Amino acid sequence: MKDLTPQEMLRIDLHPPKTPWMDIPVKIKPGVYCYPAKPEKLEVVGMPHPHKWSPLDDDWGLPEDWKEIVLNGMRERLEKYRSFKIFMDICVRCGACADKCHFFLGSGDPKNMPVVRAELIRSVYRGEFTRAGRILGRLAGGRKLTEDVLKEIWYYMFQCTECRRCSLFCPYGIDTAEVTIIGRELINLLGLNINWIQEPVANCYETGNHLGLLPHTFKQNIEFMCMDIEEFVGIKIDPPFNRKGAEILFVTPSGDIFADPGIYTLSGYLMLFEHLGLDYTWSTYACEGGNFGFFTSMEMAQRLNAKIYHEAKRLGVKWILGGECGHMWRVVHQYMATFNGPADFLEEPVSPITGTKFENAKSTKMVHISEFTADLIKHNKLKLDKSRNDHLKVTFHDSCNPSRGMGMFEEPRYIIKNVCNNFYEMPENTIREQTFCCGSGAGLNAGENMEIRLRGGLPRANAVKYVHERFGVNMLACVCAIDRAVLPASMSYWVPEVKVAGVSELVGNALIMEGENERSVDLRGEPIPGRGEEEVSEDV
Amino acid sequence: MARGGIDQLIGILTEQKGSIVEKWIQKIHETYPPETANFFRKERNKFANPVGSTIQEAAGPIIEELLEPRDSEVFYKHLDSLIRVRAVQDFTAYAALSIFFALKGAIRDIVGKQVRREGLEWALLEFESRVDRMTLLAFDIFMQCREKVWEIKRDDLLKRPFVLSGGMCASYMVRRGQKHLKKAKGSNNPSLN
Repeated sequence: MKDLTPQEMLRIDLHPPKTPWMDIPVKIKPGVYCYPAKPEKLEVVGMPHPHKWSPLDDDWGLPEDWKEIVLNGMRERLEKYRSFKIFMDICVRCGACADKCHFFLGSGDPKNMPVVRAELIRSVYRGEFTRAGRILGRLAGGRKLTEDVLKEIWYYMFQCTECRRCSLFCPYGIDTAEVTIIGRELINLLGLNINWIQEPVANCYETGNHLGLLPHTFKQNIEFMCMDIEEFVGIKIDPPFNRKGAEILFVTPSGDIFADPGIYTLSGYLMLFEHLGLDYTWSTYACEGGNFGFFTSMEMAQRLNAKIYHEAKRLGVKWILGGECGHMWRVVHQYMATFNGPADFLEEPVSPITGTKFENAKSTKMVHISEFTADLIKHNKLKLDKSRNDHLKVTFHDSCNPSRGMGMFEEPRYIIKNVCNNFYEMPENTIREQTFCCGSGAGLNAGENMEIRLRGGLPRANAVKYVHERFGVNMLACVCAIDRAVLPASMSYWVPEVKVAGVSELVGNALIMEGENERSVDLRGEPIPGRGEEEVSEDV
Repeated sequence: MARGGIDQLIGILTEQKGSIVEKWIQKIHETYPPETANFFRKERNKFANPVGSTIQEAAGPIIEELLEPRDSEVFYKHLDSLIRVRAVQDFTAYAALSIFFALKGAIRDIVGKQVRREGLEWALLEFESRVDRMTLLAFDIFMQCREKVWEIKRDDLLKRPFVLSGGMCASYMVRRGQKHLKKAKGSNNPSLN
């Protein structure tokens, strides 16, 4: 508002206009949008129209036939995806989804109501593809695709984390996340991708993981954590890499290899596998469970996902174990078998420790680490000292994809209750299938859009704040690498007393390993209260 | 305009507290688009409506503290919760803090006539000075919130893996120091010296 003169200041009306949403032009603001993709990151994977542009410029450098490209893309997808066509046609705008989105709840922007966000595209569908919309225009809820409309769609497609909470409440079962997925595909046809998604996609395509870690770095980082474990736990671990003939291939998001606090979840995996003497291997090729391609286009998701089965085949493993990740499991559970399956060269997963057959993974041959660990605990295969986590009062954040995307609610809770003495649930309408998104999923965990991230994170943080104030909760456990990357930021703003940990980190803390030391510090090297060490030693 | 009468005014405001709180909440809601204001007003579940419930829960205690200061910590806590939300929403700084000036309007709407009738204008000005001081305090909190956002952005950038290539997570390096690096690389990393 730096342009206002003092005279104008006196005339300020603080009340927002009461005009219909179609008449409120989009104002693209820093803090809300993510930076555009670098052209070279599009070129790497052959995505269309790589170019330099800025969302704050009037001219976005669109190709001359941009409108035709978008409408043809829309036509193609209406024919290809029956679901998209149905979602365009059947919404009666009942509003059941309107107040279910974390971005609407946190921002108060009506265009963040899922119904309106989808309506941004639906109105173009009506105005350009239906007879009623073409003739009656706005009377039939239709409008033409203009540059302003395109900019509005772009702005709001990246204010949806595809968490699907809205779809839970839709009486017609409309999956607004799929509308966002298609919406992003359409704007990506014009090279309007965002860099926070596109760079990981390019990295993943070139090196196998989002962070662009080369094999030796990937290996080195895991070895770093082994050095930590040796120091903190007293156990030396020599993890296997690219080992042909292993029974199990372990795949986890690269955030666990590189980002704090995900790296402590990694320590938990390493310790668990060592303790079990598991016949497994890491892969420096299938070194990313996450799939930012899923936030770009279905085809890209398929391309990036393919390496998991390729590597499983190359190494000759029997089945695949997957780490704690969010959208990785949405892709695995809902798409992998048809994207790149059937994986008939793999066996139906059976735990070598308990003999449990994971029939739920019959199709994908891929088991979630929480399913695997919960089964171990159920069969008394782990010795656990819960009291090591006694300084923690833990609550559990159901990540959108493992909960709504694959229906995993009980396993993480069962594990936490077996490794911690203090567990408190957040209110019912904020957990399990009704869980609130962390606020930064679907590739929106950049730094430049922090304001919208914090708005979107408010509903989750509000529930955490409640259990913090009521029960003294100080640890937010989760099973998703993006959660672990973004919830610390959200907590630091809304509930700074609460830290974030992966469930496997809590397992690692409680796990009693043969030959271990007295365990006076946890996996982060921080002293466990009442166990001798007052502070972290000076030399680290 | 006679001086004094602040106790009498406080008595009137205390009597009308419910209506003033309600009016102020309405004015805060009106800073949002109508559909949103409607939702903030109607949805009573605090977890389904975090912004609406924050406004609802903070407005009463803030006014109570203005009327009779008792617990500065509670006062600050409620002010903070109200501003923390608006500091990251789509408001300019002045629009975010305008709600405190709206409280003056709410008070005048409810007790303005009675104040004039009973010649308590001076007392009202005195009370409004309390609101002004609160607004200054609110500005402090607003700035703390904005600085926190930038601090989070800075930390995020430091942790951002793409700024490094082939190295370790920056925050981890800082935290764990040189010990492990020496072990791993066999020499000092100049960037950490």
